[in-house]
Amino acid sequence: MNNDNRIMGFLSRNRIAGTVVILIAVVVVATFRSPDNNFIRVANLKNLGAFGSEFGIVALGVGLLMIAGEFDLSVGSVLAFCALVFTWSNELSLNPFIGLLITLAAGVITGLTNGLITVRGKIVSFITTLGAMMFWRGLTLWLSRGEMRAVNLDAYPAFTSLFTGDWFGFFPAQAFWFLLLAVILTILLHFRRFGNWIFSTGDNALAARSMAINTDRVKITSFIIVGVLVAFAAVIQTTRLSAFSSRVGTGWELSAIAAAVVGGTSLRGGIGNMVGIFMGALIIIVIENALVLARLPYEWTYMAFGLVILFSVLLDLLIERRIQRAST
Amino acid sequence: MSANSGNSEVLLRMEGIHKWFGKVHALKGVDFEVKKGEVVGLVGDNGAGKSTLIKVISGYHRANEGKIYWVGQEVKISSPKDSRALGVETLYQEQALAPHLSIARNVFMGREPSRALGFMDKQTMNNDSMEALAAIGLHLRSPDVMVSTLSGGERQGVAIARAIHFEAKMVILDEPTIALSVKEVQEVLDFVQELKEKGIAVIFITHNLYHVYSVADRIVVIAHGQELANMQTKDTSVDQISKIIVRGTLGEEV
Repeated sequence: MNNDNRIMGFLSRNRIAGTVVILIAVVVVATFRSPDNNFIRVANLKNLGAFGSEFGIVALGVGLLMIAGEFDLSVGSVLAFCALVFTWSNELSLNPFIGLLITLAAGVITGLTNGLITVRGKIVSFITTLGAMMFWRGLTLWLSRGEMRAVNLDAYPAFTSLFTGDWFGFFPAQAFWFLLLAVILTILLHFRRFGNWIFSTGDNALAARSMAINTDRVKITSFIIVGVLVAFAAVIQTTRLSAFSSRVGTGWELSAIAAAVVGGTSLRGGIGNMVGIFMGALIIIVIENALVLARLPYEWTYMAFGLVILFSVLLDLLIERRIQRAST
Repeated sequence: MSANSGNSEVLLRMEGIHKWFGKVHALKGVDFEVKKGEVVGLVGDNGAGKSTLIKVISGYHRANEGKIYWVGQEVKISSPKDSRALGVETLYQEQALAPHLSIARNVFMGREPSRALGFMDKQTMNNDSMEALAAIGLHLRSPDVMVSTLSGGERQGVAIARAIHFEAKMVILDEPTIALSVKEVQEVLDFVQELKEKGIAVIFITHNLYHVYSVADRIVVIAHGQELANMQTKDTSVDQISKIIVRGTLGEEV
């Protein structure tokens, strides 16, 4: 029993070890199985760093929110809506830095709405954000009539190189922002009081409330963090594409949850790790990229994500069971 | 200014507390008193109003009528925050701790010490939580241990150590011994003794009269939203209390 405790103690504190193994495995497979060694080509890795980071930034927020015990299925639609907001700011010839601020404000509003409806209405966030997912996508399609639009930022090279440039000729700016945000969120989640409130709220909201933690405010704030991250991702994505499309972000809501889960985040809240979520996002990005390089049909991507989720959930279940056995 | 009956030792005094839930009259003018450092056993059948009374004290329910005095001063308790500010810690069964967080994070939940720039002071959290546990005789391996790996008795210990560390004046234990093994029950009863020795008042809610009888100074029986009996433990017996609860009256013929 003591032995069992030690193993589980290690695994529960080092659940991240499982994520590292999966990450190495997908990278190795992608490297050796991609046709003509496409995967490890510099051009591909730069691409990966650029557009993969856009998704990664969203996944960081989704994972944080899951630790607080809530889901956000609206991230893909909010991404499209925020892209439209940024596009408008461009069409109005506003400075893109102003456009960025306006778009971030839109992200705050979408996150706040999700949070308020979930918390005040005491409705499961799976449902409220499912509604939001349809609403924001529908609104975006209606307002844009589903048309592509050009976004021209040629007059602002400082802006484009800050968010989408190739730094020192090889380092994609997006990857820097992804890393920076991951570091900031790691500090917030693991080293600050608010992080402990997020964990407590997700793990046992009753206990948190009886310790005078305002769990409603913790959840709303977490929703807003997601909204802001999605808005930021929308701005850098629109800048990279130099265009608006109402279809961006479709399917991201579920891939982001997959990233969080494979990174060791519990579907029931209260368990998770920002470094794990970061690596989980990398796993999803690499799988998607490798399958595209292998010219496999897109359905394969969904199947791969499905397997990744199932595997991670089963692993967590195993750990949880053995912890319980060890304690009795 | 003081509303208590000349007794300076009264910590909590509730007068004429009424609570309705819609048409249900859950508390019908209850008077309740706890002295400093006193262990009060609160017993009664299911639905008698024990939990409602406790929730009024801990700020989860607001009384519709009645007055609450804390050390002689009238107070309003309208949220768990108010109750906690007075020095009341309520430990609900299985609701006191976050199972997947470490001991240190649980002990300091909501009251994390911070250093410059708002960073959590993990060093202090680790050291102080171990010290607080040691003070009630619990020696656990590490402050990083996940609470869900502890035994039921140890978990109660963590919650009680937390109350002592934050200098609670009164601790409310809601069914602390339910679902515990005999050995663990004894541990919890020892913790209650520990609280008493530190001068912390305890309200002990339970269905198990033997558990409460062994630690309480006074036993209060609640039935149908009213106080039915209020006896010093030394003047009564488990048998007598049990008869009162079953009959729902004081049972004058005893």
